[in-house]
Amino acid sequence: MTRPNLQVLPGLGDAEPHVSFCGHCAKRPSEEDAVTRVCTSCHLGLIVSAPESLVPATNEPFVIVDGKLQVCAVSRRAEKLLGASETEIVNQRLTDILLPADAEASGIEHLVSIIVHAARGDGTVHDLVVRPVGEWGIRWFTRVGPCGAPSAALIVLAPEG
Amino acid sequence: MRTLKTSEAATFLNVSPNTLRAWERRFGYPKPMRTEGKHRLYTHGEIAALRDALKEGLSISSAISRAREKLTGDTPVLVGALTACELDRADAAMEAALALRSLERAVEEVLLPSLREIARRHGDASAPWAFAARWASDWLARARRLAPPPTRPLTVLFGDASRDELDPDVLETSALELFTVRAGVQVLTLPVSGLAGLNDVLQNFRPRAIVIAGSSASDDEVARWAYAVRSATGPLPVALYRRGERRAVRTTSTLVLPPAPSEAQHELMALVDERRPLAPSLRPAAFDTALLRRSVSA
Repeated sequence: MTRPNLQVLPGLGDAEPHVSFCGHCAKRPSEEDAVTRVCTSCHLGLIVSAPESLVPATNEPFVIVDGKLQVCAVSRRAEKLLGASETEIVNQRLTDILLPADAEASGIEHLVSIIVHAARGDGTVHDLVVRPVGEWGIRWFTRVGPCGAPSAALIVLAPEG
Repeated sequence: MRTLKTSEAATFLNVSPNTLRAWERRFGYPKPMRTEGKHRLYTHGEIAALRDALKEGLSISSAISRAREKLTGDTPVLVGALTACELDRADAAMEAALALRSLERAVEEVLLPSLREIARRHGDASAPWAFAARWASDWLARARRLAPPPTRPLTVLFGDASRDELDPDVLETSALELFTVRAGVQVLTLPVSGLAGLNDVLQNFRPRAIVIAGSSASDDEVARWAYAVRSATGPLPVALYRRGERRAVRTTSTLVLPPAPSEAQHELMALVDERRPLAPSLRPAAFDTALLRRSVSA
């Protein structure tokens, strides 16, 4: 007998391994950094970890957002991309900076829902399209997924093209 | 107040001294004091707050923001105590602030912002403001009495151009006077309205610079007083503090001091120090308070 409506779900044992990186320069930490939690390369980021497929490359901009949608960290590349410094962006609401730009998605609720689930530790990595608030004609493809600790959502931005 | 050297603070946070200096450059936190030898000295409270915030943070920036919030927690306590007219609780709030900061920072980060908040909520013609302003004046006067005696042969004359003791400018001026006294400089404050006997006072108390503080007295009144002072002492640099708009440029004759008392004190010290030492015949004599009382009452 077949049960076509049932699907195999990933179990805890199948979870993607987490990789550590600096929350500012995205470099992989040395053994010393893992102890101090502060990146000894740029001195300006805390070491966080995320699923391997989500972890940004050193040239990929990213932001980290908590479950209340408040921006907690901004990478060096994202500062350049967004045209503002980390101190200006941290503690702002994500929706004051980025909005969904995906024609097929159901508005801002979809973006918020994915981020809130990721910030709670939902292991799935989602692909989204966003644009900066107040600007049109620019789209960024993003990967969104969980990171931590503490638990938060990592949004890796990649300019179109 | 417990303080830590750079190496001690770095060990406490489990980071390198270079990291601490990088945070100071980028975020302005932790903000160290300087020893006489210009070495950094961190307050234990600031470093401890940062250590706790780093454990829960996702970035240095958010951890610093959280640590700052923790430290500014003294301001609402002081505002609450003064609004409820609870003097003991207000004194305790300042004691708590002093446990984490230098006196200068406790005044600038807790006392003055609390008073500004009370003025904003109730206005400077209200009973809560009068109560809070009198308490703050008394607190600053107590701190000034506890300041070490002058260590430098320098004197600064403050011309008080404020309205009365409840003028909001008075507290900022008192803070500047306190910081100047704590920098080892002798300070004398006289009202710009009092010209009688001024010459006698200034013969004994030869100031190195004049600060005109407050915005209530008219320009004519201030000009008459400054002319009388300069007639008695010869040409002296004049600085203006909280007297209307700050000019963008520094003129040769008048320096407009920044509104923050600590920044104003640094500029004032630079102004006083850049003048060459006085000839022995012109050095200030020991200050005669009895003569001052006689001259002012004359």
